[in-house]
Amino acid sequence: MTDRRSPVIAGVYATEQALSLPDRTAMDLALEAVRGAVADAGLAPSDIDGAQVDWPGPGGVPGEGSSWARMLGRDLRWTSDSMLDNAGSRGLLKAAAAVRAGYADTVVVGGCKLVSRGAGPVGAGVPLEFTDVWGSYVIAQFALVAARHMHEYGTTSRQLAEVAAIIRNNGTTNPEAMMYGRGPYTADDVLASRMVATPFHLLDCCIVGEGGAALVVTTAERARDLPQPPIAVLGGAMEYHQAAYANPALLSEVGMLGRDAATRAYAMAGIGAHDVDVFSLYDPNSFEIIRQLEALGLCGEGEGGPLAASGAIAVGGKHPVNPDGGCLAYAWNGTQQMTLKVVEAVRQLRGTAVHQIADAELAVVGNAGSGAQHYEMSVLGRTG
Amino acid sequence: MTGRPVPMPTELSEPFWASARRGELVVPYCPACDLRFFVPEPACPGCMSPNWRYEPSVGRGTVYSVTVVHRAPGPGFDTPFALAVIDLDDGGTLLSHVDAGTPDKVVIGLRVRVDFRPYTDEITLPYFVPDAIDGLD
Repeated sequence: MTDRRSPVIAGVYATEQALSLPDRTAMDLALEAVRGAVADAGLAPSDIDGAQVDWPGPGGVPGEGSSWARMLGRDLRWTSDSMLDNAGSRGLLKAAAAVRAGYADTVVVGGCKLVSRGAGPVGAGVPLEFTDVWGSYVIAQFALVAARHMHEYGTTSRQLAEVAAIIRNNGTTNPEAMMYGRGPYTADDVLASRMVATPFHLLDCCIVGEGGAALVVTTAERARDLPQPPIAVLGGAMEYHQAAYANPALLSEVGMLGRDAATRAYAMAGIGAHDVDVFSLYDPNSFEIIRQLEALGLCGEGEGGPLAASGAIAVGGKHPVNPDGGCLAYAWNGTQQMTLKVVEAVRQLRGTAVHQIADAELAVVGNAGSGAQHYEMSVLGRTG
Repeated sequence: MTGRPVPMPTELSEPFWASARRGELVVPYCPACDLRFFVPEPACPGCMSPNWRYEPSVGRGTVYSVTVVHRAPGPGFDTPFALAVIDLDDGGTLLSHVDAGTPDKVVIGLRVRVDFRPYTDEITLPYFVPDAIDGLD
């Protein structure tokens, strides 16, 4: 299965992540992320022939990815103008496909977004005629799915709170995390925090901050003489139910969103769900972890609450999730939080994570969003 | 936008808002595949036919899911409010508010009926209220 053009991750980088970075611009964070990932891979900018990276400007043409050619000092063979194609598993898989096909040899994926706090809801970013007027937004959309899950399966607010406490406590002891030193939290602390949108308390919901990240994908052959142990992209798949937020997410339609992607990605990698050593999953709120445990095949439909609350998702548990603290406590920074999920998985497989899972050989990165109406996952593996 | 957002009708949705001003709930219906759907789309999500039309709805339904929103996404909302997904009896699923006096009274399975309320000169909004006829309030 592995051959000279098999895609591998050769470099990763995360900038500082903070609630607010008033002294930084989006452009200089994106530049730092690219420089950092390229250096981590042991490469020079001119070794990069593909760029799926945000270009916020000023300089170049804002939004146009080919602006990176002048920064990298060479003509590019592969680029992207879409922020969602520049992040996480979706960006990684598109870069891996390009590398595998030979459209490019070494692609950098990433970027940055400065999220101005207090600017209103985090949502689709465009007016939605039948959504905005009702005061629906990202937390409420996920809440509508969680509430129905609780109704159908008996999932409890305490189970949600246990998930939040476990992942938040990973961030409490991660010096890179935005919420470093802020815990520890108990489930009771989560339940005592103010209500945002039932069933979500404040501590059930992720933080909103700023920062950037990037990764470098190349061929197994190119990575052979690079300094970092190459991390193989063993499999991946994407699943889209509909566009974000125009319609509310319904549990009946999206409760198992990601199951088809997981089935295909596991088959591609030749593994099963229970072979995975560590999970790097989208956690905009506590419930979305419970849902993904089911969709990813770690338990049956409706069984995610008891499984998560049992401690299975803790560092040292059977299915560790987000040892870095996730979006709940490490960082959420717009689309590039998806890339941070890849960064943590790569560090786990290199054996250099802050909260290292012993002998981690296989990792799953799961990105999702808008309730969740889309799912993008990748299976990563240590080589050698 | 400094207050609660105002829907901007499109060529797809103008008949919906025109009917709403008359106190009539209509939803897109595709005769080719006998499907009622919401929100309006450029073609039927069942068969991709562009020849769907608006048909009247009974305006009664059941709460499929609900969240009581305490932190609104922006100014202009009276919190808390019950944001709900309504399954209409004759087909189609709508996002709306259910006004039951207190939002905690709005639970999954509650029977509701549409209650149009003027919002701007152009826009009349289809709220929902508990359907007293069913006696489940």
